[in-house]
Amino acid sequence: MTCEEARDQMLAGSGGELEEHLRACAACREEAALWNGLGNLRDEQPGPGLRARFEAMLAAEERRRSWLEGWWPRRPALQFACALAMTALGALAGWGAGRQPARVPELAQLRDEVRNLRETLAVSLLQQPSASERLRGVNSSYRLEQPDDEVTSALLDALVRDPSVDVRLAALDALRRYANGRAVRQGLAGALARPQSPLVQIGLMDALVELREPIAAPALERLARDPAANDTVRQRARWALDQLGAKGVLQ
Amino acid sequence: MTVEPPDEVLMQQVRAGNVRLLSVLFDRHHVALFLFYVRMTGDRAWSEDLVQEVFYRILKYRASYQDGAPFATWMYRIARNTHFEQRGRRRRETPIEDGWDTPGRAGIPLEQHQEQMLLRRALLELPHPQREVLLLSRYQNLKYEQIAALLGCEVAAVKVRVHRALSSLREIFFQLSGRKAS
Repeated sequence: MTCEEARDQMLAGSGGELEEHLRACAACREEAALWNGLGNLRDEQPGPGLRARFEAMLAAEERRRSWLEGWWPRRPALQFACALAMTALGALAGWGAGRQPARVPELAQLRDEVRNLRETLAVSLLQQPSASERLRGVNSSYRLEQPDDEVTSALLDALVRDPSVDVRLAALDALRRYANGRAVRQGLAGALARPQSPLVQIGLMDALVELREPIAAPALERLARDPAANDTVRQRARWALDQLGAKGVLQ
Repeated sequence: MTVEPPDEVLMQQVRAGNVRLLSVLFDRHHVALFLFYVRMTGDRAWSEDLVQEVFYRILKYRASYQDGAPFATWMYRIARNTHFEQRGRRRRETPIEDGWDTPGRAGIPLEQHQEQMLLRRALLELPHPQREVLLLSRYQNLKYEQIAALLGCEVAAVKVRVHRALSSLREIFFQLSGRKAS
């Protein structure tokens, strides 16, 4: 039996001649041991939060469907009539808008409305069950020059509470742009005081050092001394304290 | 004795609007999918996010499920795409330090635990396509025909890729353990 045939048998899980080959061929024996070792790797279980998030997503979809079904007619003829009516309404609105002369205050009002719409969109995307949708929500906040309190508080909430590390990191990046506001700085320092993924903690410390934010010092000191914290996080906290101290910010 | 409906029948019903039945498919597949991702990434939290995202996409794109298509192949196609997209956004795939997200040792001897840790590290150091084909063939209960359909190649090519991946794993494993491979 060649090594290739032996490997085929190993993948198929059959014995016989394979055993004979393995006794004679050390390389195949090692590969067979690894193949079996992979099969014996200790299985891990996902946390209970995964099922809860799935159930929440399913419940949201069921609610959405029941709302749509209640509103949209079941009979095809009525569906057609409904679609026709909406098309006519849209065309009429477009025609009416085209006849109105553009005026500067109206344009300004329109800009405000677009801005409000973007803010609403960012906030509502941040509440979606899918992590990808929430990431879109964070990214859409970049289209706002200076977001209002509702958007920044939704981003701060995502930074602290979002189950996805990716979303928390993206929210942190977005918030760094608006860190001239006192509330955002306090929110970043507050987030450091909560239990977090080490990736996010390190990102937060970097942001707070960049901002030279002294109110972060107590949280940094706690982290630097916390025996339960990750080694890299503890080292980073000490580094951050040094950085803040070196700039004469700490008392 | 009641016979459980196969995945494909359940998915057809989900597509037809009975979305509640997706929870049966979740029960059947979410742990295997989670383990696939944990072994691909070494990151538990991210793996849970990825599983959630896969089921979200199954729900969102349920209309694209084709009659007769094996559900597992379809689900793993979505799983691969999701992982591929998120990898680009991710700053780093491997954990910050060794043994970051590994399970505890409870119940197994120290030596066996260390071997398993080494094997996990060796897996994470395999190039991404090799790690993927090895995991799909070893753990995911997929036939070689299904893996071939998933990767868009012939069955023979899948077997060659698995052999190469196993051979690379052997080299990495022995390198990490400080022992010499034969």
